[in-house]
Amino acid sequence: MRNKVTGESSRHISVRDIAMIGMMTAALEAAKLSLSFLPNVELVTLMVILFTLCMGGRALFSVVAFVGVECLVWGPGPWTVMYLYIWPGLSILTLLCRRQRAVWFWSVLSGMFGLLFGALCAIPYLFIGGIQTAVAWWIAGIPWDILHGISNFVICMVLFCPLRKVLERLVKTWGVPRE
Amino acid sequence: MEVQNAKKRINKGFYIGIGALVLLIAVLACVYYFLGPKGTEGSKEYTLKVVNDAGETTAYTGHTDQEFLRPALEELQEAEDFTIEGEESEYGLYVETVNGVTADYAVDGSYWALYVNDEYSNYGVDTQPVTDGDTYTLRYEK
Repeated sequence: MRNKVTGESSRHISVRDIAMIGMMTAALEAAKLSLSFLPNVELVTLMVILFTLCMGGRALFSVVAFVGVECLVWGPGPWTVMYLYIWPGLSILTLLCRRQRAVWFWSVLSGMFGLLFGALCAIPYLFIGGIQTAVAWWIAGIPWDILHGISNFVICMVLFCPLRKVLERLVKTWGVPRE
Repeated sequence: MEVQNAKKRINKGFYIGIGALVLLIAVLACVYYFLGPKGTEGSKEYTLKVVNDAGETTAYTGHTDQEFLRPALEELQEAEDFTIEGEESEYGLYVETVNGVTADYAVDGSYWALYVNDEYSNYGVDTQPVTDGDTYTLRYEK
């Protein structure tokens, strides 16, 4: 499909797309750092969902770049492997459900994602220490997962609509082809 | 009529979504309550080994009624030539210095690892239960 204004194909990456991916990556990192003093309260889930809804598959590149920047900031560790499937996984899930418009749908999805974050993170421990290690590691973090789920739900309920409006206005202004 | 039906569908979806979320929270809370880390009451004897940056091991024998490792180690500080310091974090004490040896992950990637009976602990010192007869090891690692 071609954009009527710019004539660009939505299926190839342009210079403007690269700049946008850079800005989305920076926004994700800034969002992560801005709330890093609060345990398991974050804006990254909401932003990954919004970027994917508004920018389509391009958001996936920024999510992978965000994981790379996190590695540069914190140094690589076991969490690098977790991040490499968790955040792109959320982006892909959002792409699959992108026809949903209701804010409650995305809030519930954000909440579920937060609640299951520890379980998803425990997957590499299945291969490192076996099922007992993975389950023990997951259970130890459940109170933080509950906090993560509730905060994700509330943040999405409050910020989804205003942020989506701003992003859609930007997408229109920049003439970004929709996928 | 169609608008009303659409609203009904949205309301139904909303309640189902909220219900699923609350149910999942309840399930997770139950799993943590029944299967989460639990201390045992009563007197316990344990061994603490400290392996420093030179690979030297110092062993201590502790006696405690505490259920979790941190207060037991704080008691050990009073009774033995052992010190532990760190920074309070949202997940409990982040151990930085043991017996005067500091591990700084930001400088050289070093940290104090906690082992229980030679197996890597899934918990920090605040949530690691103390069990009679167990050996806890604080090992300087890079």
